[in-house]
Amino acid sequence: MSVKHVLTTCPYCGTGCNLFLTVADGRAVGVIPCKTDETSQGQLCIKGYNAHAFVHHPDRLTHPLIRKGEQLTQAGWDEALQKTVDEIKRLVAEHGPDSIMVLASAKCTNEENYIFQKLARAAIGTNNIDHCARLCHASTVAGLLQSFGSGAMTNTIPEFEDADCLLVTGSNTLEAHPLIGARMLKAMEKGAKVIVVDPRDTPLSRIATISMRQKPGTDVAWINGMINVIISEDLYDHDFVAERTSGFEELRELVKSYTPERVEEISGVPKQHLVDAARIYATADKAMIAYAMGITQHSNGTNLVRTLANLAMVTGNVGKESTGVNPLRGQCNVQGACDAGALPNLYPGYQGVEDAEVRAKFEKAWNGELQAHKGMTLTCAFNQAFTGEVKGMVIFGENPMMSDPDIGHIEAAIQKLEFLAVIDIFPTETAKLADVVLPAACYAEKDGTFTSTDRAIRVVRKAVDPPGEARPDWRIACELGRMLGNDGFEFDSPADIMNELAAVAPIYGGIDYERIDRENVRWPCPSKDHPGTKVLHAGSFKIGKGVFAIVEHTPPMEETDEDFPFILTTGRNLFHFHTGSMTRRSVKLQRESPEPYVEICSEDARQLDVLEGQSVRVSSRRGSITLAARVTDWIRPGTIFIPFHYAEAAANRLTNNALDPIAQIPEFKVCAASVEKA
Amino acid sequence: MSSATPNAQSQEKAEGDDFEPKIIVFCCNWCSYAGADLAGVSRLQMPPHFRVIRVMCSARVDPEFVLRAFQKGVDGVLVAGCHPADCHYIGGNYRTRRRIALLRMLIQQFGFDPDRLRLEWISAGEGEKFQKTMVSFTKTIEEIGPSPMGGGD
Amino acid sequence: MRIAFEEMKADRLLTARTEHGNVAPVLLARGDEPGELRTDVPYQMANILLRVVPYLGSDKIAVVARRCDEKAIAEMSKRGLLDSGKISLIGLACDAEQVSECRCSDPCPSKVHIGECVKASPTDKVVEDLLAKSISERLEFWTAQFRKCNKCFGCTSNCPVCFCDECLLEEKTFTPEKGIPPGFAFHLIRSIHLADKCVECGECERACPADIPLLALRKMVNRDVKELFGFVSGDGETTSPLLTTLDGDSMEGDNDVC
Repeated sequence: MSVKHVLTTCPYCGTGCNLFLTVADGRAVGVIPCKTDETSQGQLCIKGYNAHAFVHHPDRLTHPLIRKGEQLTQAGWDEALQKTVDEIKRLVAEHGPDSIMVLASAKCTNEENYIFQKLARAAIGTNNIDHCARLCHASTVAGLLQSFGSGAMTNTIPEFEDADCLLVTGSNTLEAHPLIGARMLKAMEKGAKVIVVDPRDTPLSRIATISMRQKPGTDVAWINGMINVIISEDLYDHDFVAERTSGFEELRELVKSYTPERVEEISGVPKQHLVDAARIYATADKAMIAYAMGITQHSNGTNLVRTLANLAMVTGNVGKESTGVNPLRGQCNVQGACDAGALPNLYPGYQGVEDAEVRAKFEKAWNGELQAHKGMTLTCAFNQAFTGEVKGMVIFGENPMMSDPDIGHIEAAIQKLEFLAVIDIFPTETAKLADVVLPAACYAEKDGTFTSTDRAIRVVRKAVDPPGEARPDWRIACELGRMLGNDGFEFDSPADIMNELAAVAPIYGGIDYERIDRENVRWPCPSKDHPGTKVLHAGSFKIGKGVFAIVEHTPPMEETDEDFPFILTTGRNLFHFHTGSMTRRSVKLQRESPEPYVEICSEDARQLDVLEGQSVRVSSRRGSITLAARVTDWIRPGTIFIPFHYAEAAANRLTNNALDPIAQIPEFKVCAASVEKA
Repeated sequence: MSSATPNAQSQEKAEGDDFEPKIIVFCCNWCSYAGADLAGVSRLQMPPHFRVIRVMCSARVDPEFVLRAFQKGVDGVLVAGCHPADCHYIGGNYRTRRRIALLRMLIQQFGFDPDRLRLEWISAGEGEKFQKTMVSFTKTIEEIGPSPMGGGD
Repeated sequence: MRIAFEEMKADRLLTARTEHGNVAPVLLARGDEPGELRTDVPYQMANILLRVVPYLGSDKIAVVARRCDEKAIAEMSKRGLLDSGKISLIGLACDAEQVSECRCSDPCPSKVHIGECVKASPTDKVVEDLLAKSISERLEFWTAQFRKCNKCFGCTSNCPVCFCDECLLEEKTFTPEKGIPPGFAFHLIRSIHLADKCVECGECERACPADIPLLALRKMVNRDVKELFGFVSGDGETTSPLLTTLDGDSMEGDNDVC
């Protein structure tokens, strides 16, 4: 008998904390923080401390399952894989490769995502590959790519500590990214001013220097308003604007009408707060913007991200330490899944599929012809499944039956599919509808890498064996690729896959396993002797000059009316993670937050005669759910909040699938809803 | 910048004549509860601001009961038990004594007036002592003022 | 370091070493390749020991232990959680830097095998400052500190003397599941529970992502316990004053605390 401590990366948010899994007799029994880790510094959040808790849960999938009539019945690997391959081949033959959609996973490693997209592109022959970044930061990738030329966090996590001003919006950092929040607290201790803009009071906003509660869906207005103040009070960085940006005069014209008075009218942010916030942000030596879903999950998400980029550029807060525009990515490897090319329009390393030169390079590397047009996004794929154009789906480690907007619609779309294969670790809501279910290994049971939100490539190390017959996703995908007749899937280990990824994606060019085993490297890292990059856009932007976007305020797609008088916004809480398939199977986390609830402000609750803990029915135009009321003063009157972790009252039954026209990200953060006593 | 700090929470509550202290009294079943009963039966006049919780022994009062009461916004906590050497369970009240002494130190470190917590020995026959204790404790709490926790969490 | 196996005849050695560019706690068996052993990173070895012991049967274990680990192990043995006969301590004297970080008043293990003892830190500035505050200033201070709490349970998970099977802090009666921050009772319940066992290792403070000066709070409570009962935790013999009554020796102060 022995006990070992295996250094690995936390499977929850994108912060990328390293931790030790305590393994005794082949079981993960506990977690010890890693004191020398640059990111976590020996500290973790409650989810990190419970990262071992779901690994050996009895619900884990242990055998392949095949649908026989109504039932999913146990099958052998050969049979299940063969059935999957046969169905894919049949659909490709009958309807062409674009009738298949492959969903990759931000919970899988870089290597696995590379294999998933290769499976779609090289083996099946379609660019229809996407993953849940579509639901979280697709607008960041698109927006920052247009403004700066690179769609990732411009700075790094440790830099938060040294900023003089932090502008945090649409991010409940202390709950959703606790260890990044910890850095913010350290900055505050050192005297940094913190401005939080959020319709809810969050643990951070309660201790912030300025907290502004805007009406959901009015973010362009207050950001333009801040720029208005900065320009009219001549607080902008003249040199930076002149040397490194283009389009400033148009921006100056645009923001003229966004006076603090008008912004207050639109967004409800008191004008004095706006003016103060603008002054603090503009006059700080080093100011960082951090944002998350509250900015991106809007029908104008891409433009919103660009507006934030405007704000940073106007004040010259880009390209230096402790500045920049910093999207906080929510999944352990959502950054890496994007990097590895699990996007319908981009090959690994953000290289466009429609660029002939790039395509030629990949055709050579993968030894076969590739599709010349962009593939379908995740959100689009479900619409097309509903209308019958998409016939088959292969879903690796995602749970759209919980995570996507308007679940009723998703369910109907899935019912229309001719074939659905789900590869997952738990029998998720989506897996229950599948024709073939394959059991996968979780993070503790395989080797690989995750890329954290600040572009650091973090190592995931195998600690225990997968349960039953479960296999790592990369092996499953490689097997499918081989069986589909492609010879590019002969990999022995994730290290081999990383070598191929490094060879085709220049930003990962200098990455190899020997190096990252010891070193915390951040991309872009084009060669073995390159130290990696902490601050993006130092000196110049990838696209030359930064581009100011001209964006007017537009109301959200769905506004309140008499029948649906409340604005519903959704999000995470501290104790659970996304669709809850892992955290709700962790005893301690489940204890901390066992039931679904809706936050409603005390004034509204009084009018509806609803008391704390009472059951209420929340409805939107798409459905209704019943859950407990949590009466609080931490939310704006007229706005309600539901965490989306709970299958028994899934917030996404209600949300709107209105899409951002550029990034096709759904508007999770605003829809009209009604509340009544149940 | 402090002018623009909407989060600066005022924990002050209206003080003065209209302050009605909320007081929790833990009474041991064998002595103090009977003492309280006697005070009532004897129609002794007492301030009306306290609620009695009967426990089998004053040692049943875990420190967390007291802390929870303070967290919920009570203004004072009184623990009443049998006189030394009279404990129905032989040594319960000795433990209580040490525990409450420590607890008083602890709440003082946190920033609560230690006099918000009091331990008193009241036997079954001491109805009058119960009444006097309540009068003086209520007066003490009124002097200290409302709990800084306001309405509690 | 091999002395652990030869001199102490241990079957296992719990220490820390370089792994993957980091420092990791490691449990070595006789004959294992030791690698680069490290003593400069303060992993809470007593806590780790308590977690690994259930899996090691009758093996004898040597632990590289600082003074605080030693005291924590004594508290554990006293409560029957460890069989002290199975544990050998390799005394590690903290260096000056470590001592000043912990503001440690008792840095020297009873038997030193590694390093040299340095002088104890005479005072704890954080504690002194707090004691100088008025009662309302203290309230303000702690309220602001506790408001940052993110309920990670890092202070309990890493604490060597936090070993109840059922934790009251995970019980909804006392810490309702209302998100964060958990309220001051969370921290004070912990304080009172540790009052007769805290060895001032400072791990709670180091593990706190919100930088709440928890070590200072622990030290203040320990001072009170010492003042009231003359009790100092960390030895294997003296029973906690919160558990004793008049049977056995009466403790000083029994007659005047109330």
